[in-house]
Amino acid sequence: MQPRRPPPPAPGSGPWGPRPAAPLILLLLLLVPVVAAAESESAEDRGQPQDARLQRRLLQQAARAALHFFNFRAGSPSALRVLAQVQKGRAWINPKEGCKVDVVFSTERYNLEEGEGHLGKCSARVLFKNQKPRPAVNVTCTRFIEKKKRQQEDYLLYKQMKQLKNPLEIVSIPDNHGHIDPSLRPIWDLAFLGSSYVMWEMTTQFSRYYLAQLTSVRQWKTNDDTIDFDYTVLLHELSTQEIIPCRIHLVWYPGKPLKVKYHCQELQTPEEASGTEEGSAVAPTELSNF
Amino acid sequence: MPGIPGGETRPGPSPVDRQILLIFSFTLAVALGQMNFTGDQVLRVLARDEKQLSLLRDLEVLKPQKVLLDEEREAMAKSRRLERSTSSFSYSAYHNLEEIYSWIDNFVMEHSDIVSKIHIGNSFENRTILVLKFSTGGSRHPAIWIDTGIHSREWITHATGIWTANQIVSDYGKDPILTDILKAMDIFIELVTNPDGFAFTHSMNRLWRKNKSIRPGTFCIGVDLNRNWKSGFGGNGSNSNPCSETYHGPFPQSEPEVAAIVNFITAHGNFKALISIHSYSQMLMYPYGRSLEPVSNQRELYNLAKDAVKALYEVHGTEYIFGSISTTLYVASGITVDWAYDSGIKYAFSFELRDTGHYGFLLPATQIIPTAEETWMAIRTIMEHTLTHAY
Repeated sequence: MQPRRPPPPAPGSGPWGPRPAAPLILLLLLLVPVVAAAESESAEDRGQPQDARLQRRLLQQAARAALHFFNFRAGSPSALRVLAQVQKGRAWINPKEGCKVDVVFSTERYNLEEGEGHLGKCSARVLFKNQKPRPAVNVTCTRFIEKKKRQQEDYLLYKQMKQLKNPLEIVSIPDNHGHIDPSLRPIWDLAFLGSSYVMWEMTTQFSRYYLAQLTSVRQWKTNDDTIDFDYTVLLHELSTQEIIPCRIHLVWYPGKPLKVKYHCQELQTPEEASGTEEGSAVAPTELSNF
Repeated sequence: MPGIPGGETRPGPSPVDRQILLIFSFTLAVALGQMNFTGDQVLRVLARDEKQLSLLRDLEVLKPQKVLLDEEREAMAKSRRLERSTSSFSYSAYHNLEEIYSWIDNFVMEHSDIVSKIHIGNSFENRTILVLKFSTGGSRHPAIWIDTGIHSREWITHATGIWTANQIVSDYGKDPILTDILKAMDIFIELVTNPDGFAFTHSMNRLWRKNKSIRPGTFCIGVDLNRNWKSGFGGNGSNSNPCSETYHGPFPQSEPEVAAIVNFITAHGNFKALISIHSYSQMLMYPYGRSLEPVSNQRELYNLAKDAVKALYEVHGTEYIFGSISTTLYVASGITVDWAYDSGIKYAFSFELRDTGHYGFLLPATQIIPTAEETWMAIRTIMEHTLTHAY
């Protein structure tokens, strides 16, 4: 499986600064270009002053948030996309409120088969509100998989799911060695789709989520032919390195909008001997899109 | 769950104690980092004093049934897995601690002309910490350090380290660059930098990152070994909350796994390069992590990283980005490479291996050898530069 990344020559990409002092750092970084310009050379990575790096990171974050949202809204487990490359964009930062990002980026198919090189292209406007979840996303993407093919693949996946024997005797997907049995792949794809909703809601200008593993799956019988299942996912948040368990319940039928409900475990809060409660939990609690 | 009522002075088990025992057993399941959360509850119990803490520790012997069964299976399989030579060891599979240590013993025996193993210390749970030394002789040659597995869930790093060790002995005498390097310098590889954490990823929690140290006043376990170094300790990008994945520990080098390396490298006194290997993100980085301040030989490190990444790319087309840690990944304080650099090791690099999030820590075993092959070319580039830029 080919990994996908922006080409090497441009250094300094990646996530954001430290979370706790974020607004301060943002402010500081806005002031830095003045200082950086005064230094003769060498101080920074070749050719990229501080604000350009910050811009770059925000563009990446925005692209990710937009993609999570796009994947969720498309509701198609066989047409999931991942970020290939940020191409251009601009971020406006307001230290008090958050930031607005316009970004154009290319995408690749998540279920990359050998020999495929399909690149889609998306443009998005993303509004991050300081430290608040649910970035506002406006995104359009070019079609990179023919509608009919997508529908066929979705329907195939749907049939595979319906044929699974319950209760599913699965401990985790992938297993600890990274292996996903081909017969279980549909479960993973659907889980990724459902997790996209969760990851979209939780992505901020600083936090970045990945789906690490499914740890439990349960499919429910339905009266109306929809796919209905509960699963537990472990999300990995990169800046804090935390693993966040989330219970997700989703209902899906090919071509219909995805319905998702979830609850993520709150991060461990600092304990004091006094036993006082609830520090700053980052993950939102019970939310739904019904 | 509020704190347990204090003031327990009655000796022997009491109804209250038994209740506490029950509650603690649920808590221990959480504290042990149990992974399957379905139907579980998270209970927070605050130990008020030493007695309650020791009660909690006594519960260590109580394990969920599933783990006991797994251990039995593990023991049975163990006798089958331990091989007598490295020729039957699969480099394209993930191994557990016993298998790796067994491989090390065989490896050292089979290549005793240039490989030896050094016991540099013990982990918190008293496991042996081993370092492989590759040397063609001489006394106190300038040296290169490589560590893998400082974060236990990053399995691709141990696997890459093992493959690399084997590659070094295979290539010595064949690859002129590697041969020149080994003639003038020694290479040290610490394959399992966090053995307790690693054992835990096999037994209980595949996504465990930290070590397994415990301390009074908290039921949370473990310190992030890559935040426990004496360089900008406690700064931004590390966490004073013991429950956090980036908890830096009570003080620099508080963790035996870190202290062992510090003591070894310091006593040796002649290390010229240090490479610390992590996953995932596909990045090659140099100090600093603790601040945006560039190091004095920034330009040189930038160019070296660029060359190394290019060499890596040429193997399988894998794209890496590079730069300083703080500008490429995030601000992180108390990290290995910052300490190395501040200790005078000019060529200090940190890798984040494959992939970029598709599988993340659970990189399929089929990617081990391709990852190791490409990473080797980058490591070799760094080592060559270190050789030709003696200081």
